Amino acid sequence: MSARDRILERVRAALSGRPPIDHPGPFAGWRPDPPSTDPVSAFIHGFEQAGGEAVRLASQQEATSWLATFAASYKSAAVGATVPAALRPQLPDAPPERAPLGVSMARGAAAETGSLILDSRDGRMIQLLPPTHVVFVPAPLIVSTLTEALNQVAHELPSALGLHSGPSKSADIGQVLVKGVHGPGRVLAAILEYWSEETDHE
Amino acid sequence: MRVRSREYSQEAARILEEQPEVRTAVTAATRTFDEHRANAYGEIDADAWRHWAQGVKSHVLTHLDSYLAQAEERLTHNGAKVHWADTTEDALSILGSIVESEGIDRVVKGKSMLTEELGVNSFLEGRGVHVRETDLGEYIIQLLGEAPSHIVAPAIHRSVDDIRALFHQELGTARDAEPDALAASARAALRGDFLAADMGISGGNFLVAETGTLALIENEGNIRLSTSAPRVHVAFVGIEKLLPRWDDLSGFLQLTSRAATGQPIGVFVSLIQGPRCGDDIDGPDVVHVILVDNGRTRLLADEQMWEALRCVRCGACLNICPVFRQTGGHPYGWVYSGPIGSILAPALIGLHEALPLPFASSLCGACVDVCPVGIPIPDLLLEWRKRAVDSGETSRGERLAMSAFTAVAERSGVYERGASLLRGLPLQAARRTLPMLKDWEGARTFLTPSPKPFRTLWKEGIE
Repeated sequence: MSARDRILERVRAALSGRPPIDHPGPFAGWRPDPPSTDPVSAFIHGFEQAGGEAVRLASQQEATSWLATFAASYKSAAVGATVPAALRPQLPDAPPERAPLGVSMARGAAAETGSLILDSRDGRMIQLLPPTHVVFVPAPLIVSTLTEALNQVAHELPSALGLHSGPSKSADIGQVLVKGVHGPGRVLAAILEYWSEETDHE
Repeated sequence: MRVRSREYSQEAARILEEQPEVRTAVTAATRTFDEHRANAYGEIDADAWRHWAQGVKSHVLTHLDSYLAQAEERLTHNGAKVHWADTTEDALSILGSIVESEGIDRVVKGKSMLTEELGVNSFLEGRGVHVRETDLGEYIIQLLGEAPSHIVAPAIHRSVDDIRALFHQELGTARDAEPDALAASARAALRGDFLAADMGISGGNFLVAETGTLALIENEGNIRLSTSAPRVHVAFVGIEKLLPRWDDLSGFLQLTSRAATGQPIGVFVSLIQGPRCGDDIDGPDVVHVILVDNGRTRLLADEQMWEALRCVRCGACLNICPVFRQTGGHPYGWVYSGPIGSILAPALIGLHEALPLPFASSLCGACVDVCPVGIPIPDLLLEWRKRAVDSGETSRGERLAMSAFTAVAERSGVYERGASLLRGLPLQAARRTLPMLKDWEGARTFLTPSPKPFRTLWKEGIE
């Protein structure tokens, strides 16, 4: 008998005669005062609360010029595989372990937790190794609850998703909060407000 | 890990006497955690969330065989390799054969209580494999050669000054370095380990049966790195960690984070379906998931104790516990400490080995008020006490005293006469000579009996 069969056998024996308990149904995120603001404002609030930064980009033009200004202080960047050409900084490529800046494209975001949803196909190390991380997120993909945000990606799961909700932090040294312990110490959510189905594919 | 739970009382006393700074550090940290938890619970309808979470976990546990089979099927479909381990030895032997077949020299580890339970580090070191703990707190205690003192914050018992001295010695940081600088030097040192490692080891907060998703919550990013950078990822997952559906993740990720640290969610959550595939530009080539029993099916079979398997290891019951706050986790003498540890330890290592732990509680019930999955901790502690008495584990003197008391208390007349007799005894004079009274008086103000017994007062009519 394999370990698998032995364990399952023991589980069945343990449960024999135990009344089965029904699943209580979907998680409804019960709150006394549900947030009334729109998902984008609520996301920015949550993300900033956790120490992240956010910028709203109203047009492609605005996005391009913001990126040019922001990238000017960096020497190189590691850019995610699914970041559209128009949103790639004009910087030399560097491997993630050496790049001072990482740029990723999110698959969505959840307002209630201030979480960006990142996809392994965009490149995991880019999301983790550079000390500064810029994440583009289309405004229409920012939804109110984490449940909705996870539902949005459920139809097609990659090998790994990462939920990033602010900069890396730790209080393991005497309960003093420090940022950028292993992951990025600075993270910016760049919200593409002009994004629509049509601009999705360039 | 060597079990030292039977020395709980002596070790707790030793820490309080010889290392008073531990009490200060642990009390301050756990109070902060608990305040954050209370605020975070205040923002939501916490009772509804907890009731839901309790229901999902109870549902999973009462259907565990089918969910385990489904998780295995999905993970395999996703390209991961699933292993099953009856015991610690089996789990380590599975790890050993992966290390061997993959030719592993260097391992980075994310924080995992199960790997502490199994003794993964010493096993690997014994085979000449370099193991690096990468959670900052775990890294600190690995350098110190200590065990974690808290489920979530393993170095909670250490002050900034302790860590300054340690890093000065190990990493060459300045003697007066600030926490930012200390963390930066640890980051630099560990970055090399991440990039050089050929295996990353993690635990698992949840395993979703429907999608074969391993979920991991953290704040630093070291778990994401440990499960992304090395070419092999091995995850140790207790069989109780299952969730039925993808839809259940949202509630559990949020509730666990709120209960543990008061955050809406941990800064980083990894949702891992399997190894690198298709268009991925990085990620591990192989993902092994080792499903570990190691006493959990025995716990599941226990009509009362099985509820403890709902535990999500958030540490909320440790943070609020007035007993844990005095010493931190070390005196508990095994991997899981605090109120939940005092229930899990007797179940997983045996009541005899863990004996004093169910008694290391005032049964105040604060823990059950904060538990996100409604584990009736005080009831289960009492049940362990009852079993300790039934199986003759408690001292003979205590058993004799209790049976004498029972005999008296069951007879109203005898009780009344006994009580008035006791009232007449010169207890004040006996206090320094009678051994039990002497112990009592060591830590408390001496009690003077009231002139009239309660029963008389009751008959006379208490206002």
